[in-house]
Amino acid sequence: MADKTMVKGNEAMAEAAIRAGCRLYFGYPITPQSEFTEYMAKRLPEVGGSFLQSESEVSAVNMVYGAACTGRRVLTSTSGPGFSLMQEGMSYIAGAELPSVFVNVVRGGPGLGDIQPAQSDYFQATKGGGHGDYHAVVLAPGTIQEAVELVHDAFDIADKYRTPVIILADGMLGQMMEPVVFGEFRNLESLSDHLSWSLTGAKNREPHKVTSFNIDPYELEKMNMRYQEKYKKIIANEILYETSNMEDADFALVGFGTMGRILGSVIRRAREEGIKVGLFRPVTLWPFPYDALREAVADKKFVLDVEMSTGQMIEDVRLAVGDSLPVHFYGRTGGVVPNPDEVLRVLKERIEEVK
Amino acid sequence: MFDHRISVMMGMFGSGKTELSLNLASYLKESCEAVALIDADVISPYFRSRDLVDLFADNDIDIIAPKGPLRTADLPIVPARVRGVIQSEDTIVVIDAGGNEYGAVVLSSISADIKSQESAVYFVVNPFRPFTDTVAKTVDHLVSLSKRARLTVNYLVNNANLGSETTEDDVLSGEQFLKEVSDETGIPVIMTCVMNGIEVLNNRFPVFQMKKYLKTPWEV
Repeated sequence: MADKTMVKGNEAMAEAAIRAGCRLYFGYPITPQSEFTEYMAKRLPEVGGSFLQSESEVSAVNMVYGAACTGRRVLTSTSGPGFSLMQEGMSYIAGAELPSVFVNVVRGGPGLGDIQPAQSDYFQATKGGGHGDYHAVVLAPGTIQEAVELVHDAFDIADKYRTPVIILADGMLGQMMEPVVFGEFRNLESLSDHLSWSLTGAKNREPHKVTSFNIDPYELEKMNMRYQEKYKKIIANEILYETSNMEDADFALVGFGTMGRILGSVIRRAREEGIKVGLFRPVTLWPFPYDALREAVADKKFVLDVEMSTGQMIEDVRLAVGDSLPVHFYGRTGGVVPNPDEVLRVLKERIEEVK
Repeated sequence: MFDHRISVMMGMFGSGKTELSLNLASYLKESCEAVALIDADVISPYFRSRDLVDLFADNDIDIIAPKGPLRTADLPIVPARVRGVIQSEDTIVVIDAGGNEYGAVVLSSISADIKSQESAVYFVVNPFRPFTDTVAKTVDHLVSLSKRARLTVNYLVNNANLGSETTEDDVLSGEQFLKEVSDETGIPVIMTCVMNGIEVLNNRFPVFQMKKYLKTPWEV
């Protein structure tokens, strides 16, 4: 058969994690993410890994915490309500500086919400859903192939900076199917050994200590300043974004994840009507590409930010753009996905206002 | 090709049961008065037959699925009407089951009704999907789903595809794959499904041309 496989986003990210060297998965099924957990249950035993379905997301995240202390690659996946339950553990993991990967296949919220696609967990993912001065790196894939590649990147970033990394996907990406080429299996021997700090048994060496706290405020402040130094390096090195049709554009659309594809459709239709419009799609949501966005839209007439929420990334878009040009917003929420026609109509209304 | 009153689509997750069910119902409507499609998929949260209820109602095809807010509920509901429709002798029925063993469990709850009528069970295979990428795995799943559904599989369906990137070679390699599954199980391959009007020459099995109903928001 061909090199390509026809996979759902959830299955694709799970297989990508295994190929990236993840052999430890702890999780609890929740729609629209459940295929992820199910796939891991079938596949991890085949590759000598450990799969454990916990009794709740609270225990799943604490299993991730424990497993990450060993320095081995570990992942959990969930959706909105489950991700909320994991926030306490995520704060501990960030404080203890443990590499780990979280996948949130976002559904409509708040509360129980519904099972349709949404992007309304942006604040929670990028602004620190748990307590304390911490950040997790947040990656937002727009296609299943990109999701596969970002899962590999997520583990590498997690290892490099000893930090939790979140893949922020939406239900559409989790549930749809696309042809995908998977990368090679990473040689487990080639991965970071983390032997300088990980808990692997202290026989014949000094014991290691992994902790997220220090009861001496001056020492805790020092730990916090160390995190901040790390975040500066992440901001300097890891920002990702994509632009299309921007060079000759009069207007800029901004959207992340699968919204980028809807906006791609809007741009094709708009350009057929002679409207010059381009796309800026942040791939890292934290660190947010402030400078790149500012430069990309500097000569445009306005920015239209489109989200599957009532407006969350818009705050970062405004921080990037400032008062230099108008920033408009259009969003649908509660699991409703905007279609290209309605976005095109909004775009045209805004253009009318400029004229 | 489809001369049974009831057609049951069984298979693994993402094998293409729903697209095939929707296309088959539309095809049968061309020659039959009353056509109903039973959405027995209580597993998939998106891309379901029930999403097409209104479009199909325009063509007078009855999609039987939970109504109102229950349509998008994450609950395993099989509407009470299902048994009546299966028993109704002047209605041509297509049953779209959910994937994997969980989907087959739902079929087992109506298998006695299905078997009491003139029916055929199709096992839909896309060899480009994980878990049916080898003949041995496919045969294993066929046997276990059939047991779980308490239904005998009558026909195999080749639905080899890579979505919009499908080539003629992909379809033909699927035919070879399904022939091997057929040799192993003794179950005949009834057809090869093709979407997007891909031209297939030198095919071994009759071709069923399909159109895409389940679209992403940017394909609409």
